[in-house]
Amino acid sequence: MTVKVEVIEGGVPHPKILVAGLVCTLVCLYLSYLNVYTNTAYFSFFGGLAVIAALIWGSNTIKVLCSYGIGTGVPSAGMIAFGSGVIAMLLATKFGIAAPIVALVLAAVIGLILGYLANDVLNMKIPVMIQSLTELAVVGALTLMGFAVLITGSFTFTGLTTGSVTLFGALSMPSYQVSFIGGGLTAVAFLLGAIAIQHPFNACLGPGWKQDRMLMLTAECGFLSMIVAAVMSFALIGTGAAIISLVIALAGWLYTYCEYIKLSKRDAYAWLDSKPIPDVEGH
Amino acid sequence: MTAIAAKPAAGSAINTTAMVVGVVLLIILLGIAYVVSPGLGLMALIGVIIGGVLIGFGVHFVPVGGAPAAMGQAPGIATGVAMLAAGAGLAGLFGGAWAADQGLVIAVITGGVGGGMMMAITCMMVNFVYVFGMGIPAASGKVAKDPITGDTQPEYKSQGTEGHGLPFVSFVGGVIGGVLGGAGGTLIYLELLGLYKATLPTVMNASAAQVLPIAISVAGTFAIGMFLVNAVLTAYNITGTIEGPHDPKFKRWPRAIVASAVASALCGLVAILIVTI
Repeated sequence: MTVKVEVIEGGVPHPKILVAGLVCTLVCLYLSYLNVYTNTAYFSFFGGLAVIAALIWGSNTIKVLCSYGIGTGVPSAGMIAFGSGVIAMLLATKFGIAAPIVALVLAAVIGLILGYLANDVLNMKIPVMIQSLTELAVVGALTLMGFAVLITGSFTFTGLTTGSVTLFGALSMPSYQVSFIGGGLTAVAFLLGAIAIQHPFNACLGPGWKQDRMLMLTAECGFLSMIVAAVMSFALIGTGAAIISLVIALAGWLYTYCEYIKLSKRDAYAWLDSKPIPDVEGH
Repeated sequence: MTAIAAKPAAGSAINTTAMVVGVVLLIILLGIAYVVSPGLGLMALIGVIIGGVLIGFGVHFVPVGGAPAAMGQAPGIATGVAMLAAGAGLAGLFGGAWAADQGLVIAVITGGVGGGMMMAITCMMVNFVYVFGMGIPAASGKVAKDPITGDTQPEYKSQGTEGHGLPFVSFVGGVIGGVLGGAGGTLIYLELLGLYKATLPTVMNASAAQVLPIAISVAGTFAIGMFLVNAVLTAYNITGTIEGPHDPKFKRWPRAIVASAVASALCGLVAILIVTI
């Protein structure tokens, strides 16, 4: 049995979001390379912004794909996006400054083959399947790379695998365990991204679907994940840089949350502003 | 063309051309692995492919009910294939990773037991909730008699539903699926871990003890990634819900074997390239 989801036209066309999302993500990832030129980690927050841009694009792709009623639930699309994306992203980090471009190409190739498998070998016969899985793999790879930049300030394999521990307050030793990959932060970033990409369409689908509301929810989920990632970055980059990321994430989340509530009220038939804990009368 | 007009036409038919293309792709990917790393890499890739196929085949056994099951209108566990497979597979993977030092066979079996136990507990609690919480008996909608116990089903099936609860055969299917998925996930992890342990010290210019966290973490991440790719592809194969090994949809497994093999070969090749280039 397949779940039928009505297609509602309207909003910004998908190709426009695709191009905008891709360009914004790549530009933000490369802006984080300012870290290397200035020899600081203050530009790590660009990784978080890359995550938001990629997630917004990916969320709209999930909408395009899942409108066909794939019957496996919306979360499965987010899972395959990050499952294939993490594989491409890890290999791409080996290519130094070309890493974001390599991640893009590699993820596109993996997504293309997975799309072919799903559409033809598994006989799904969904017109947008191949394109959507290709896009989702790219989104997964670039989102994880964005998280890596946000947490470590770098997207190269050396940067992601090498950290340092300070002994007795002065002696600094290189350690592979205190790093993005060695510390297992990849798995956390994986699920932070996967939840943020699969939730918005799952929450907003239905006859009252509006594109701007869904994309605002995506941005909100993205900033929420960015807050967690920014907190984790305290362990790996300087406190100053981590605070900048955290402040940007908090401000972004507050703004998008308020905007999302406004859009929800706009689209709702009626709403009652109830308090979370009602006042008990007579006390 | 609107999406409403173009409903997915996924049937049980096998697209022969695509299957042949899939097999050719598999051979090409194995060939690339042979060129870049003839010994260690190729063996690891073959292990990864076997693991991926085990996952893809195992997911077919798991009784997935989806949203209808949550409302008691279809048999199975009330969630999606990707979630269930990830739960069983990761439980198995963690179990197997603990036993990684004890050798391949023991670790793979431990992984299988971990996945199977996870599914057994899930299936039991699901039935518990169905029977004592929702007050509905277990009845299959796809077969007249339970293939294992021989119990008749239609008398217990409510009108207008496709069956409900978790019949015995679905329970057994769930456990078998968990065993296969857990063992497959563990096999992928162990093959990659062995490869990384052997090659990372030279790649990163560090001692074996220093790179161990990297080897474990990268192998684990790749194993999770491959697990999800295989589970979701299989979910696409069975398009949502399946009752277990007695369901007619179970006969679609040959397609999933080819798809899982190619997908695992592709992802495994990328995982091998990380230490060879």
